[in-house]
Amino acid sequence: MNEEYGKIIGITHSIKRKARSLFSEVPLLGWLFGMLIAVILERYVGEALAESLGLSKIPMLFGVVMMLKNPLMIPSTVLYLFTIFVLPISVVARLISGPANRVAAKLLDLPILISVIIHIGLLYAVLYLWSEASAYRVLTLKLTLIAVILTLSLNVVNGYMGEFSCSHPGFMALGAYAASVFTVVLFVDDKLFGHALLPAALAPFMFPIALIIGGIVAAFGALVIAIPSFRTRGDYLAIISLAFMFIVKSMIENLEVVGGPRGLSSQPDLASLPTVFIWTVACIWVTNNFVRSTMGKALNAVRDDEVAANAMTVNTRRTKITAFLFAAFWAGVAGGLFAHVLRYVNPGTFGLQKLAEVLAMVYFGGLNSVYGSIVGGVSLSMLGEALRPLEIFKWIIIPLLLILIMIYRPTGLVAFKEFNVGKLVMPKNKSDQRKSDGAASG
Amino acid sequence: MRKSWVFIISCIVISLIFIPSAWCKTKTIKIGINAPMTGDIPKVGEGTKYAAEMWLEDVKAAGGIAVGGKKYPVKLVIEDNESKAESAVKVNTKMITEDEVLVIVGPQASKQAIPAGEVANNYKTPMISPWSTNPDTTKDRPYVFRGCFLDPFQGPVLANFIKGEFGFTKAAVLYDVASDYPKGLAEFFKQAWEKLNGPGSVVAFESFTTKDADFSSQLTKIIKSGAQVLFTPQYYNEVALIVQQAHELGWNKPIVGSDSWGSAETVQLCGKDCYGLFFSTHYAAAGAKGKTKEFIDRYNKKYGYVPDDVAALTWDSLGIVKTAIEHVGKLTGNIEKDRKNVRDAMAKVKEYDGITGKMTFTEDGDPIKCAVIVRISNKGEYEFYKSVCP
Repeated sequence: MNEEYGKIIGITHSIKRKARSLFSEVPLLGWLFGMLIAVILERYVGEALAESLGLSKIPMLFGVVMMLKNPLMIPSTVLYLFTIFVLPISVVARLISGPANRVAAKLLDLPILISVIIHIGLLYAVLYLWSEASAYRVLTLKLTLIAVILTLSLNVVNGYMGEFSCSHPGFMALGAYAASVFTVVLFVDDKLFGHALLPAALAPFMFPIALIIGGIVAAFGALVIAIPSFRTRGDYLAIISLAFMFIVKSMIENLEVVGGPRGLSSQPDLASLPTVFIWTVACIWVTNNFVRSTMGKALNAVRDDEVAANAMTVNTRRTKITAFLFAAFWAGVAGGLFAHVLRYVNPGTFGLQKLAEVLAMVYFGGLNSVYGSIVGGVSLSMLGEALRPLEIFKWIIIPLLLILIMIYRPTGLVAFKEFNVGKLVMPKNKSDQRKSDGAASG
Repeated sequence: MRKSWVFIISCIVISLIFIPSAWCKTKTIKIGINAPMTGDIPKVGEGTKYAAEMWLEDVKAAGGIAVGGKKYPVKLVIEDNESKAESAVKVNTKMITEDEVLVIVGPQASKQAIPAGEVANNYKTPMISPWSTNPDTTKDRPYVFRGCFLDPFQGPVLANFIKGEFGFTKAAVLYDVASDYPKGLAEFFKQAWEKLNGPGSVVAFESFTTKDADFSSQLTKIIKSGAQVLFTPQYYNEVALIVQQAHELGWNKPIVGSDSWGSAETVQLCGKDCYGLFFSTHYAAAGAKGKTKEFIDRYNKKYGYVPDDVAALTWDSLGIVKTAIEHVGKLTGNIEKDRKNVRDAMAKVKEYDGITGKMTFTEDGDPIKCAVIVRISNKGEYEFYKSVCP
């Protein structure tokens, strides 16, 4: 028995080692290209394959929903995923790893921005083609990207700054309402605010302004709590920020102008997938630069020891307030996007449940890490969507997962890892790496 | 290496064996149920689900829904919306684009039905919300219907009832300012009451916030204001607390409620304090006759409790859906055309004889139907007292 077990372990180990050696030289460019091929493949042969496997439709969220609803479908769904995604991605990525490495090395000769833009363009193409299959995928994707923005912004406070802030749903609500009021007043004939002031054709151009206004209003709200509460630390800040969340919620509930508890609807349909994607990329980029700047390092110093940081000439108060306002701004932007994706907001949405969700995403993904926020935001929102058929058991499985993460990785899945874009887009084989290193230094 | 290949190949072979052979495709009618199975109001979701399952049993027993002389099997797609607005939108989008449902029944609460109705209307899929009383749900949305009367109707009904029954002139209102249903109804009641008795006749208009459990300061004010009757359009858990605390503080005048009292839990939580009180609702369980009694007895036997108004309204909504599908004449197989035909048939439904009364839809998709005034008997049953028609 033991021998058998040992053999199996040995086999899996050898497979792992093989796989690692096979794929270690594939650069990001290769992976993205593989995914592109896979989504194109799904687009053209997906339906036929699904039908021949006895599936009624293309499995939407990687088949999890289908498998949970009808366990008999598990084999065909797995087979579908294998032929459409796993096989093409791995084969293509492996086959073109040589040329891809050379292209990646060539791209590094140019300014890194171009290389990054090409990578992001490829990623967008993949997401676009993947989501084009159905409106459900588009909606899920948009809400997932918004969750990433929100998680990232909370991570600035809870991870990088080391405080425990509970006011994020409040900031989100401020941003959502500010952006909604802006667009509804300007572009929609509405019973609350009367006629549209500007032609609807201008709306897409004014939408970024609406989001920025949402962000600024949220940041202003943050200033209101930052000034009194940053004299305290730890638990006190948590309580004050929690109180702030309830203040915002109950303020909106009592504001008849924006619909009170009935909520505000009829926002124009402006948050398309490219808009949400661009804002998410912008958020990741800006936040990543922020946390790697002097200010970000000062923030880490404040987290580790405020007195010592002060002694090392860090202006702790300014640092903390800046970071807090920065986080609130992005939460406000996320709120604005959220309101325009749903095209309805009500104050009840921004309550304790939302807070629990965002906190779970931050701690699941990993503190002090941009990677972690992306992982946390994407995995929890996808998981929540995929496990929907389980109804009440979903609320047992997800918290259980969180508990396990907290036991085995107390700071989250990918904590304290720097998001190095330069390293990410680099070629992965030794020779091209050396070449590009030479080019970079020379 | 070879062993791993053998392993992988055997896995694929085994999975191929289990693949169900290509089945013969019969056209089924899919009906989506968007219900809050988890979250704030799971009891509502449960009532919806049970009523829908009971309805499906009937349809199955009849061999499906007959359209143009041909019987089509029916499948329910029940999805959980977690009592959240964004989830309700996701669920609707999924059911429309993925499951390709013909009609959607739900969501129940207005905060989900308003955004979800937008989705249904955009995709031109008929949707009927059994329980949502907010006018915005169906307003300017030709594809969205509802199964219950609206707050602007219920408010005057209650005001007229209190005036006619007791002859009072001074009323007090206690409501949850953070929840859209109680707030809306409280305002409509106030309007109607002041129209009957002149301005200032609502002597106390007190509010609290969701999940508050102590109402003594509001109730003290109400008692001091000299009101003759207290109106409180709250949900079952708050009703019990409000009524008990009012009695402890010495309030011995009538307390009147709205359809949100109609849950089976109200009397269980409230006990003797609630006996003898009145509320308006969609149907009365005790003393029901005919089809209504049949439904209540069947539900009670199957699930062990008397169904509340959500279950009854869901049952009626599904009944309307069935009638509409039967009147389409022919299912073309093109889901978009069928959806439009079903919507047109639904708008034309006249005098549908449901267990919660006769229904005809207005142009907005709202039914014209009667309200029932119920008295909680000394045994804790909901007795029919009076029917008020528009």
